Amino acid sequence: MDADFVWTAVAFILTLLTLSYLLGDNPLFRLAAYLFVGASAGYVAVILLFEVIVPRLVFPLIFGNPTEKLLAVVPAVLSALLLLKLFPRLTSLGNPSMAFLVGSGAAVIVGGAVSGTLFGQIRGAIQPFALSQSSSGLQAGGQLISGLILAIGTVSTLIYFQFSARRKANQQTSRSTPVQMAAFVGQIFIAITLGALYAGVLAAALTALIERFDFLRTTIQTFLP
Amino acid sequence: MRAPISTAIAIATGLLVLFGAFLPIPVLLPIRQILLSWTIPVAATAGLIAILNLLSVHWRKLNSARERDYYSIFLLLAFVATFAAGLILSPTDPDFQKIVTHIQFPVEASLMGVLTVTLTYASIRLFQRKRGWLAVLFTASTILFLILLSGVLNIAENIPLVKELLAALNTLPIAGARGILLGIALGSITTGLRILIGADRPYSG
Repeated sequence: MDADFVWTAVAFILTLLTLSYLLGDNPLFRLAAYLFVGASAGYVAVILLFEVIVPRLVFPLIFGNPTEKLLAVVPAVLSALLLLKLFPRLTSLGNPSMAFLVGSGAAVIVGGAVSGTLFGQIRGAIQPFALSQSSSGLQAGGQLISGLILAIGTVSTLIYFQFSARRKANQQTSRSTPVQMAAFVGQIFIAITLGALYAGVLAAALTALIERFDFLRTTIQTFLP
Repeated sequence: MRAPISTAIAIATGLLVLFGAFLPIPVLLPIRQILLSWTIPVAATAGLIAILNLLSVHWRKLNSARERDYYSIFLLLAFVATFAAGLILSPTDPDFQKIVTHIQFPVEASLMGVLTVTLTYASIRLFQRKRGWLAVLFTASTILFLILLSGVLNIAENIPLVKELLAALNTLPIAGARGILLGIALGSITTGLRILIGADRPYSG
């Protein structure tokens, strides 16, 4: 019995166990889920050790030059403090390390959101209105209408998520009429978008299901006489 | 003031990393790079702590007298086997990579396949419970985009106006998605800035 056969058998059995969820939640599916989580955790732990902690922390501390050793001391201390989070009595000693992670993480997220999403999406929304000299009147008109629909959809979707409202004389709070109208249009665009996203996920899931059934069929055909 | 040292660390680190990215001050760039290079191993340690916590939870579940969970033993065994194999073989070894191709991939792909049935069932339940115009619009959009994704209408693209109509239909979800993306970005910026000014302190627990 060669190793490839064993691995294919493992994949075959795990596929069957996971697909057994189609009959409802059952012990076989749970077994596959627990095995999957355990193997994934082991894999991630190995990757973190070999790809990050050893080359970026252990190696510079042991084999690095004085500058590298000095630079590796800070993350080593922060990591050691973070490990204290595992002990309930000493958990507060890990707070500075968490603060360091949260601070740098927040800065990276803000920077990414501004330069990646905000600027990129605003540029994308403006682009249809920048008509080129070579485009014909009909093309330019189509481009403008498309850009206008995109702009209306984007703005109205953003307005839909604006929930601040004024208190009226009768103590009731409600959004102003223009905001309500824009939010209504936004609701239409959100429903269409979520429908399209749902269709995309459904198509991808269906492709995966077909691929798995094809794998089961191929494996049975290969190994059965 | 609650946790002054941690707050000072978070604000100082965050502002140096943020200003290093946006302000044209030469001295800030190497400081930003050093801070980010420190973040990576600390974040990896946080990942290891999360895994250790997962294992301790399942160890406790296995030894709990009241609600013993026997499935936890499979999780612990799978972890030990994978971790030991990784330590012995190293992550780049083709035999170790088979854990991904023959354990992780089949389960992930099968879970994705199971999603087809659960999503369809969930959408039917949604339609049964909420029969408003939004549910109708959502369902119509789903069916329309399933047809578009299937490629059935690709044949009709040469017919005049059909191409334009399909392009216009594809524009509608882009507009909504752009609005949602901008909303997420604005929310992320607000949350990030609240941490950077010390208004939120999720690290002082």
